[in-house]
Amino acid sequence: MNRRFLLASAAILAFLGLGTLLGVAAPTPQKSATNAAEKSGKSVTAAPAPQAPISVDGVKDIDPNKAFGSKNATIVMETFTDFQCPACKQLYTTTVQRVMDNYVPANKVYIVHRDFPLPMHAYSRIAASYSRAAAHIGKCEVVEQALFQNQEKWEMNGDVKGTVAAVLSPAEMKKVQALVDAKTLEPLIDRDKQLGQAVPVNQTPTTIIHTKDGQSYPVVGFVSYDVLKTLLDQLVK
Amino acid sequence: MMQSAPFNFRRSVLWLGRLLLGGIFIYAGYSKIFQPNLMLQSFFTLKFSILANVSNFANQVRSYQLLPAAGVYFVAHFLPPTEILLGLLLLVGWRLRVWASLVTLILLGFITVVTRAYLLGLQIDCGCFGKPEPLTGWTVLRDTALFLLALLMTWFAFAEARKAHAWSSAPAPQQP
Repeated sequence: MNRRFLLASAAILAFLGLGTLLGVAAPTPQKSATNAAEKSGKSVTAAPAPQAPISVDGVKDIDPNKAFGSKNATIVMETFTDFQCPACKQLYTTTVQRVMDNYVPANKVYIVHRDFPLPMHAYSRIAASYSRAAAHIGKCEVVEQALFQNQEKWEMNGDVKGTVAAVLSPAEMKKVQALVDAKTLEPLIDRDKQLGQAVPVNQTPTTIIHTKDGQSYPVVGFVSYDVLKTLLDQLVK
Repeated sequence: MMQSAPFNFRRSVLWLGRLLLGGIFIYAGYSKIFQPNLMLQSFFTLKFSILANVSNFANQVRSYQLLPAAGVYFVAHFLPPTEILLGLLLLVGWRLRVWASLVTLILLGFITVVTRAYLLGLQIDCGCFGKPEPLTGWTVLRDTALFLLALLMTWFAFAEARKAHAWSSAPAPQQP
């Protein structure tokens, strides 16, 4: 009985220790990445015309049409998402949107959207194709938003095209459809997928935070803005 | 001469229940806290990893569309350490009746929410462990099996407590 009581006390102490770690531990300063990013006059919006893939701070094969912010930003934030994954929707509509609003205009974060369509999702590849095509006519943000916000609708009926068409003008939709039909942008999606497999990305969403000094912080799964902010602020210091 | 306890179905179920449910509860709590992220470069990154995992679990709790924000926060922060604590207490076996009853109630709660989500056709992760696992009929079956084991374990724990121990020298209490 005494031994059991001792073991139970040890279990309770372990429990309290975990609680302390979760609740009251204060962050300690970590080696800062670099000086603040230099101001660049570049607009936050995606480029309207197709461009060749670029590299930023060692992050290779970035499609500039699916990237937001200044290339001189202190942090490069790569997000591997699948348009049909509910956690990706949650990440995009809450966390990423707030990072776009608060860190991208201040040249602190350069966001790179990577497509990582999972085979288990019937329509995620076609959604990635429409999103990529829309990005190449300068409509990345509006189409990504429409696809994520209406995820429950199009995953039921497969009407990705209708969802995209609802937020574009007929002329824009014609260009997007031509790009999707021509399949010329498919290698870019395949390249994103290969890059993700090399990480390796085992689940979506996966976000990788790269600093200028070459450190990488992979964050797997959904992460709330408030939690991600603690890491970004620490690295931007 | 010391005698070993005879093989007994009740005691076997109790041992199986304690080991299996204790192990599963500890793993479930551990994986929610330390998976899928575990960055050990510094105390800050470790703390960030844990908070990211808890926020990931909170998102899974939210996807059940059952609780308000405060309820989601409470469950996401308190369920994983509670699972670890209950798992340890089951393994230790101290006050087994109390902790077995609590585990049974918690599993009943899990079955209720998982079955509801399954019947509603929600395409969500079950949130049972740290890594994503789509909620399917198999999830409902597995939770039901664990609940039945926990129920049997609780029943037997009460039954064992009422009778004299097999190798105890004290006489069994007389029936009125």
